[in-house]
Amino acid sequence: MEAILTDCVQNSLRHFMFKNAIFLCERLCAEFPSEVNLQLLAACYLQNNQAYSAYHILKGTQTAQSRYLFAISCFQMDLLNEAETALCPANEAGGEIPNGAAGHYLLGLIYRYTDRKKSAIHHFRLALSINPLLWAAYEELCVLGAAKEATVVFSEAAALCIQNQYLHHGLPSPNLHMSSEDYNLVSSRNFGSEDVSPRKLKHTQGNNLRGIPGNHHGAVVLSGAASQPQNGGPSNMSFYNTPSPMASQLSGVAPPPLCRNMQPNGSNLNTVNTDGSPRSIVNSTIQAPRRKFVDEGKLRKISGRLFSDSGPRRSTRLTGDTGANTNANTAAVAGNGTNNSSKYLGSSKLSSVAPRTVTVRKGQSWVNENIEEGIRNEAFDDSCANVASTTSSSFSSDNVRSLDHDGATVLVGGVVVSGAKAVSGASEVLCLLRTLGEGYRLSCLYRCQDALDAYLRLPHRHYNTSWVLSQVGKAHFELVDYLEADLAFSLARQVSPYSLEGMDIYSTVLYHLKEDMKLSYLTQELISTDRLAPQSWCAMGNCYSLQKDHETALKIFHRAVRLNSRFAYAHTLSGHEYVALEDFENGIKSYQNALRIDSRHYNAWYGLGMIFFRQERFEFSEHHFGMALQINPCSSVIMSYLGTTLHALKKSEDAIKIMDRAILADRKNPLPMYQKANILMSLEKFDDALEVLEELKEYAPRESSVYALMGKIYKRRNMHEKAMLHFGIALDLKPSATDVATIKAAIEKLHVPDELEDNLSTE
Amino acid sequence: MATESSESEEEGKITGGNQHLIVEDDLREMGKKAAWSVSSCKTGNGVSSLRDDNLETYWQSDGAQPHLVNIQFQKKVKLQLVVLYVDFKLDESYTPSKISIRAGDGFHNLKEIKTVELVKPTGWVYLSLSGNDPRETFVNTFMLQIAVLSNHLNGRDTHVRQIKVYGPRPNPIPHQPFQFTSREFITYSTVR
Repeated sequence: MEAILTDCVQNSLRHFMFKNAIFLCERLCAEFPSEVNLQLLAACYLQNNQAYSAYHILKGTQTAQSRYLFAISCFQMDLLNEAETALCPANEAGGEIPNGAAGHYLLGLIYRYTDRKKSAIHHFRLALSINPLLWAAYEELCVLGAAKEATVVFSEAAALCIQNQYLHHGLPSPNLHMSSEDYNLVSSRNFGSEDVSPRKLKHTQGNNLRGIPGNHHGAVVLSGAASQPQNGGPSNMSFYNTPSPMASQLSGVAPPPLCRNMQPNGSNLNTVNTDGSPRSIVNSTIQAPRRKFVDEGKLRKISGRLFSDSGPRRSTRLTGDTGANTNANTAAVAGNGTNNSSKYLGSSKLSSVAPRTVTVRKGQSWVNENIEEGIRNEAFDDSCANVASTTSSSFSSDNVRSLDHDGATVLVGGVVVSGAKAVSGASEVLCLLRTLGEGYRLSCLYRCQDALDAYLRLPHRHYNTSWVLSQVGKAHFELVDYLEADLAFSLARQVSPYSLEGMDIYSTVLYHLKEDMKLSYLTQELISTDRLAPQSWCAMGNCYSLQKDHETALKIFHRAVRLNSRFAYAHTLSGHEYVALEDFENGIKSYQNALRIDSRHYNAWYGLGMIFFRQERFEFSEHHFGMALQINPCSSVIMSYLGTTLHALKKSEDAIKIMDRAILADRKNPLPMYQKANILMSLEKFDDALEVLEELKEYAPRESSVYALMGKIYKRRNMHEKAMLHFGIALDLKPSATDVATIKAAIEKLHVPDELEDNLSTE
Repeated sequence: MATESSESEEEGKITGGNQHLIVEDDLREMGKKAAWSVSSCKTGNGVSSLRDDNLETYWQSDGAQPHLVNIQFQKKVKLQLVVLYVDFKLDESYTPSKISIRAGDGFHNLKEIKTVELVKPTGWVYLSLSGNDPRETFVNTFMLQIAVLSNHLNGRDTHVRQIKVYGPRPNPIPHQPFQFTSREFITYSTVR
């Protein structure tokens, strides 16, 4: 009965029938209370966005997989302390982190949000080393400003890692999509795996087996199995310490980490592999609970489900329920395409097998001992690449039947892949990630021109995706090239109109370009796509702000903040609105909130600098502008403000130097020249100032303040006629009311000396 | 203020009134930063009805004329425009007729800067505080007092439904002598 229930639950999960899954799972847990079943139930709850339920049922559990699931629920409920203790118990200083790369990634996120940058960076790096295809960890490192070059991270060594993973687990490459073949395989496996199960039982050992990720997979099972290392394999499991408990999850499944077993034999075994891939998938689901689910949701969910299925299955298998095991195995396998057992083809070179991206769901790769052996033998021998064409379903079905263990091929996503294939596949993926990673890293370091060049190296089909186009748009935005940014973003919207990534920046671009029609349209579209996304509300707030309705804009930005308090830009925008309303206290608070979330958010540093500048606290202002400049060294706007601040602090020499730097940095920006002229004027270097302003006239011929300033300078020099001329032009260019008053007053004063003379002469 | 006397003769009579409140972009409402008070009021129709953005509610005075609305700021501000919502059709004898606007540092030194006579107004009435001289576009003051000297049909008490006070927008970029007008300058002038 247990097996049937488990199977039903996993089936429901696979088909997104959450209510059904939860109901059946609760019956399962009532009937056969065990930790594995509990994990399955927790997985159901998490899939159904009921993190609180998962939290309650998993409270107090100790197995690695349970701890991981518990940590995820805590993270989603924003209980970061508990999540941290679950992942990394305080009393076990050297304890292992559940689920390897996934666990490290989650822990990294927790440290990041609790302001422990160094630990966060450490864990993200670990996660990446375990699983080089864990893009999300690399992304976090970039945001924290601590990412190594993409070529280092996504290198050939990484490719070997991944290959090993596959070889051992037959794990599909991480983050790959589940092919339908998986499903086929699963079913077929169900039948075929029966004979496998006993073997698997044998193989389970493990505690350290991190097994395949699948956080949901019962670690319990693994630990339970513990037994005889097959072929000396199991003992190798310990190699997989890095990945941590993940291995344990594999317990139910046939000795998951092939790698582990292989390790003693194989040279290439890297602990990283196995754990890595599945974890990545797991991670993805876990990462940004809110956002990622939206974006990556389906895929991950599917994978998660598949994996979760495998989890309980494994355990059930362990408990000796063959029937269930079969199901479980199949299920597990299906997810990742790690249907290793069934999939292995007899012959070594599967020419037709092409490394396919396999969804690495919390995959468990279970390997039959035979397979293991087979692989072991073959994998290493199999060095040459098999140019296999992608094999698809045909293989799967064959595989299922054959249950071939000899193959040196690894099952990847339902496709049998030979060892060599796995490497080349992995290399291709890594090559792609390398370019993307480099681009992202450079744009986070605000070396935008380089980032743009990096992105241009991508093949067209990748370039024309919404993520890349948004990044390109963002890079142009940072370069203050709003027209190009507008183009890139609108292309991105054409490509995927449902994507919200980067749309907040797009709304700011439109704000700067003063395109209120486009901005309102964008806002409407975004809100109708997703009313709960902070980006949509940021766009709306920008819309109101453009119309100078700062109070409404502020309310809307508050709403965005409430929707996702970890969205730094919403805080910064609220700060800007507070400043526009002259509420400096709250403005400072908002900016500081933004910085708490992301200390490399240079807009917030700039905002703080501006507030202090207004309040004439020039030392503070200098410090903050300096920080902003450190983060984004090419922004000419920040440089010009820093220059003005330095001038106010009487460090005029430095001020002029920075102005010159700013002018060089961006020739299109008229502001530094204007500020320089201002500074020169107050230093009484009138001629230099006039020179600069003359040049500026070429750049911005219709700017009234330029002429007004020139008029002022001529007045100081007592060149009244020229002053009059310039004041006149300034007035013609329609300045604001205050300026009209000032200019006219200045004109009057110009005449007074003459009038006095007349009066004196007449009277 | 020098030619005040001549101005009051030309001043005028204002009739009609807009149904919609339309104000130039470079003006912003300053009333939120001020303390508002009235010389007298009937219970339930107090000073809050003047600032609640609701044209159904009104302030009703309850004493001797002139009825005063005092607006006090914490620091000197530049003011350019006062807008009132009054409606003869609804309020008839309660509708203000002669209004005087005074400015100064406090109650002790208020000086009249504008008088206006309303004739059957129905809607938003704009009272500009600028003088003819371009240097007098704004009134720079701590306090503004709006005095209702008489009502239509010689009514004793008055109804005013809403009052708004406008001044110029400050320069978005601090410590700048002039504001930017062209798009290139504005685009580059801030980081958002």
